Amino acid sequence: MNIFAASGKLEVLAAYFKIILTYRGMLLIHGLRLLLLPMVLASAWLSIEKTPGNPYGDSDYLLYYLLVPLIMNLTDSRIVFKFSLAVKDGSLNRDLLKPFPPLLGYLLESIANNALQLVYLIPFSFAFWLFVRDRIVLTHLQPSLLLFFLIAIIVGWLARLVVSGSIALFSFWIEDVTTLNLVLNGGIWALLGGMIVPVATFPEKIRYIAGLLPYRYMLSFPIEIFSGRLSTAEIYQGFVTAIMWIVLFSVIMRIIWKSGLKTYTAYGG
Amino acid sequence: MRQISIILNLWKATVIQAMEYRASFVFSIIANFFDFVFGLLQYLVFFTAAKSIAGWESDQMLVLYGVFMLVFALHFILLYPNLVAMGDMVNSGNLDLLLTKPINSQLVISFRRISLEELGSLGTAMLLLGWQIYRGIIVFDVGNFALFAVSMISSLLLVYCVFLLLISLAVIMERLDNMSQLLWSLFALCRYPNDIYPDRIRYAFISFLPVAFIATVPASVLLGRSDSAIVWQGFVLAAAAVLFCTWLWQRAIKAYTSAGG
Repeated sequence: MNIFAASGKLEVLAAYFKIILTYRGMLLIHGLRLLLLPMVLASAWLSIEKTPGNPYGDSDYLLYYLLVPLIMNLTDSRIVFKFSLAVKDGSLNRDLLKPFPPLLGYLLESIANNALQLVYLIPFSFAFWLFVRDRIVLTHLQPSLLLFFLIAIIVGWLARLVVSGSIALFSFWIEDVTTLNLVLNGGIWALLGGMIVPVATFPEKIRYIAGLLPYRYMLSFPIEIFSGRLSTAEIYQGFVTAIMWIVLFSVIMRIIWKSGLKTYTAYGG
Repeated sequence: MRQISIILNLWKATVIQAMEYRASFVFSIIANFFDFVFGLLQYLVFFTAAKSIAGWESDQMLVLYGVFMLVFALHFILLYPNLVAMGDMVNSGNLDLLLTKPINSQLVISFRRISLEELGSLGTAMLLLGWQIYRGIIVFDVGNFALFAVSMISSLLLVYCVFLLLISLAVIMERLDNMSQLLWSLFALCRYPNDIYPDRIRYAFISFLPVAFIATVPASVLLGRSDSAIVWQGFVLAAAAVLFCTWLWQRAIKAYTSAGG
């Protein structure tokens, strides 16, 4: 894959950091919006009457939704919006002329964007933790678990990027990919990825399906690792499933990219 | 009367404009319908792991969702396009032009445009509520329905107040960028009943941050779980808020020294 051999990666990454810092006001509003929904959901889960098979207690829900904003933002990908915009306003033409693979640009932009979310995510998560710390148990945390947690975040980020990226590349043929993205990506992600309902609390059958789909690995999986509720075998099994999805979607993305470029005739300027 | 006919003519113009891009219009209706369906699925998924939320069972939550979508769709049809246009108006200087016209500026800026794309959600929300009446979850009762009408008016007035706050801010700060996201955050707070929040927040939401009156109160009225006192409290709050925000808007316009050109 020639995209990993490109030179000047670090410089481009630094440039993306600067571009995103210019819009820090927007970053804040965007952040507020993304923090609010997990808080609402946490309140909702703390006031439910449970179904008999539900293994989570109040402290599990609190820890889960304490981590949701963090994981959600760190694995976030905006490629669907960015790429379809680039096709529409013609900035893709410019990107194609640069001596730099355009798709690698999206990968680096995503790193810069997600890393800068940490500026408010860390203080927020810490403040929230201070509020609820006597209700959350963290004694099970070991270095190996934290290492798995970090790897899971990176794997989740890659999975989200390639799945979103594959949908984004349909912009070559379809003018508006947001609906396609909602149905195949955002919607199922929210339903079965662990946003609305923690995957571990699903009934057996739904949990099994959620485990097969790639969406769980973008959100729920790292949190499940952090909560210490997964055995080492389950963790490895999760990594294997997620990496298989990443490989599959990388190949799909490559195929779509190649055939898309052939049909692409550029509009705008 | 003249003001109303001007607004109606402006609406006609925006509808004609939207119809020029018919395929894109149909497409947005489909997209919004999917939004509605996914919102509905969220509740179904939620209730695979929960029996009830703060005393609200799944059928009652569907009523809440119906009411929520009703308010959301109405806001999207009537207010949202105007909010989007507002950011543009300040930057381009079109606001100056509009202010010189012999017509109530607040009225024109608030209701200049209309977007019919959410008609699908509006229809589906009504179908959902109708279905709940048919199933007997909502009991038909004239007194309750009248109260519901009052609470819906308060709810829409409150949403309008947030709209006024945002456009006043746009005039003061001379930019709007992604302020509309703040409005969407407000809606995120209304998707679940007000009873889920801790005591202090719940108190805030029925007093100085009247979030509860947007969806929870109208839905409880429909379900016959709410007394009339809270409905009238909401109405008074909404009326006071509209007066205050109108005053704020007038202050903002007075201090406005034009931007762009």
